[in-house]
Order: sequence, then structure tokens, then C-alpha cells
Amino acid sequence: MDDKLFITLVPGNTFIDKLTGKTKVRIFLLLIIILTATWDIRVIFPIFILSIIMLVSIKPDVKKNIAVIIFVLLMNIFNLFLTWIIKPDYGLEMVGASTVLFRFSDFFIVTAETMWYFLVRLMKFMASFLVSLTFIQSITPSELAAGLHSIKIPYKICMIVSLAFRYIPDITRDFTNIKISMQTRGLELDSRKSSIFTRLKQYVLILIPLIITSFDRVGNIANAMDLRGFGKSKDKTYYCEHEDTRGDKLLVPFIIFLIILYIALVVIKAVYKAPYEVWAPWIS
Amino acid sequence: MNKKTLGQKLLGTWNTKTIVGVAIGAALFGVLMNYGGIKVTTNTSLTSAYVIPAIVGALFGPLPAGLAAGLGNVVADLLGGWGFWFDWSIGNFVAGYFAGLVGLFGADVENGVFTPKHALIYAILCVIGCAVGFGVVTPFLTYMWYSSELTITWIQAWAAIVSDATVLIVVGLPLLFALAKRNARGTNLSKED
Repeated sequence: MDDKLFITLVPGNTFIDKLTGKTKVRIFLLLIIILTATWDIRVIFPIFILSIIMLVSIKPDVKKNIAVIIFVLLMNIFNLFLTWIIKPDYGLEMVGASTVLFRFSDFFIVTAETMWYFLVRLMKFMASFLVSLTFIQSITPSELAAGLHSIKIPYKICMIVSLAFRYIPDITRDFTNIKISMQTRGLELDSRKSSIFTRLKQYVLILIPLIITSFDRVGNIANAMDLRGFGKSKDKTYYCEHEDTRGDKLLVPFIIFLIILYIALVVIKAVYKAPYEVWAPWIS
Repeated sequence: MNKKTLGQKLLGTWNTKTIVGVAIGAALFGVLMNYGGIKVTTNTSLTSAYVIPAIVGALFGPLPAGLAAGLGNVVADLLGGWGFWFDWSIGNFVAGYFAGLVGLFGADVENGVFTPKHALIYAILCVIGCAVGFGVVTPFLTYMWYSSELTITWIQAWAAIVSDATVLIVVGLPLLFALAKRNARGTNLSKED
């Protein structure tokens, strides 16, 4: 379980790591909003390439990343497969034509448009996954809070988010500890030795102490925060937020470009009402 | 025991403890959403994460419960890598809010008050919350923001309603009883005849 989580607590020293939380959060949010808003491959493909470059540039743990990327890729492909089973001719709705490439039966057909739609969708999801994977590996919880605060989110909400991220490694640690101590008391979690139903029941036995210890800790953490004067004044500054580096200044035009791109996408969508959601080169 | 006004009950009391509680709830929700469940359909699973809004709601009130579920879903999206589904986050927020409303009917888990009557009210609230959250809010927002795939969203919505309400009730209730029993201080005294 621990090797699947990517929370960073110590900032690294690559270009993206050195940026301020402000820049990281802004770029991340803009990229995610743009990726959510559009189905146009002319926008998605550059972001997809950019996200790969970004991920490589922060020099992540290769083995860990490859494993999770493959897992997500397979999950997405499986998802697309389910969509295909429910509606093989989905491309007709989304792209606006249906060129049959292959025919299993009258219902299960493979059309070029459906495949194109699936490609766009896969790229869209993978891009947003890679962007968030880069983001989560390059930002520390405090920087995240500082960045969110810089876009005028109330600091109490920022605190919730940063505490939540800060707490995730503790959960995995507690989970492992409780699991091991339960196993020493004879809890059988091996999938070959106990049925899925008993294992489910046993996971509940791990879950209850996990949840109760976590919520018991609330009082301690809250007292520690109160003692340091949390919530007394109207605003809060962040120790981890440093002055803009050269990289931050370099990226300001990029942030402005992303904002303009997003506005342009929204305006184009509102003014020029495309008959179909997904653009394909062979359909004008 | 101090009486709370209706407004305070609807919003929950906001102090440092609540903030930490919501944060830990969101973290647990995010992790359990990813690693504590079995897949039912795509994007929905029979996950243990849904006991979290029940507990946060019982301890801190409905709005913290909703926030823990909504922010927890964002955390889960960030960790899980299936893209961001803010429509589901808001659906979760609504479902969590409803699950946390049980305090309005006199249940006070923090001080050990949780009777079978409250359990019944809680179960009904959970079903209503899931139905409104995943059956109305999420499909509506999916239609508004992503403008696609309503058939699949409906299947997912039904799976979500059934699985999440089941978890809220079947796993949540014993946990709430356990928590209430644990917190009961001086409430088990009975008047002698």
C-alpha cells in the first residue's frame, strides 16, 4: 500500500520543484480545467505531450510511476471497452458519422469514429492523470496550501487540504501497523486461505481501529494548532512561500496564455455551436 | 451539555477541531476510496470510504461531513488518476451532508447518545442523501459540464446509490454504535425506582 502513494514532504531540486506553490497550483488548475472543458484533440494532444515532458523533468521514481501509469492505462482501456459494449456506435453521437471498419454482428460494429472518440478520450484522461501525477509528486502539502491561498481561497479550507495530504502517509503507516498486529493475533488475510467474504469482514476489523485512532488524534492536532494561535487572526502567511524565482517569472506568460486559451475555448464553444462534441479531421 | 441552535446544527460548529476532523476525514476518504473497496461498475465501487461521512457527520455536523466527502473525493481523484470528476465530488458532498444530518434529531455520538431510533432516522437519511446526491445532482452536473454519456452515468449512479447507501448503513451503523458506546461517559446511569 505505501508504495502506491506519492505524497512528497521534502521538495526536490528540479526546475518544477523549485517553483513557488503559487505557480504550481495555478498551472495545475488551469491545465485540469482546460482538459475538463475540451474534447478537441488539437488542444489535448499538446497538453498530453507537455504532461509527459513535465513528468520526466521532475525525475520521478521510474518503477513506481510506470506501475501506476500502466494500471491507470489498463483501467481506462477497460472503461472504454465497457462503453463500446453498451454503445458500439457511440462515434455517431460524438463525432457525427459512422464509417464501419469491422463487423462482429449487426450491433457490435467497430467504426472509425468510435475509435477516434476513444483515442481522444483516452488521451484526455491520460493527460489529466499525468498532470496530476506530476503535480502531486512535485508539491509539498504546505506549498499546496500556500498556492491555494494565493488564489483567494479562505485559509481554513487551504488548511483542510494541506492537512489531508499531510495525513495520508500517516494513514498508510497506521494501516500497515494495525494489519500486522492483527495478523499476529491470527487474522488470515491471505487470499488463498480465506474466502473473499471472510476477508471483507477482516478488513472491517482493521478499518475500525484505523478510523478510531485517526479521529482520536483530532484532539491532539487541534490542540497543537490552537496553541500556536491558529485561527486567531483573519489571514495567514506561509513560511514555505518564497519569492518568485527566475522560473516563476518565466512562466507568467505561460499562465496568461493558458487563461486566454481557456476563455477562447469557452467563447468558441458558445458562439460557434459545433454540431458534435468531438472534432475529427475528416469531418468538416 | 450546551444547546445548539438550528443554524449551528445545520452548519456544524467551526473551530480548529472541526477543521482537523474534516481534514482527517477527507484523507481517510481519499485513501479508502482508492484502496478500500471492490469495483462494482466503472468509477463506482463498493467502498468502505462511505463510513467516513457518517462518522464526521456524527462528530462534527452535516457541513463538515459533506466537505469531508467532497474534498475526499477530490483527494481520491488526485491519487487515483481516473481524471477529475467534480460532478461526483459534489454528489458526494450532498450525500455526506445528508448522512451528517442525524445530529438534528437528537443523536449526539460525541457524548454517547445514539439509540435505535436514531439508527432508523440515520438509515432513511442515508438513502435520501444518496438518492439526491447521486441520482439527481451528479447526473445533472454531468450533463451540464461534460455533456455526455448519460446512459453510463445512470448505471453508475444506480450502482453508487445502492453500494454507498449499503456501506453507510451496514458498516456505518455498527461503527456509530461502537463510537457512541466508547464516548458514553455517565450516560449509562439509570434512575433507580
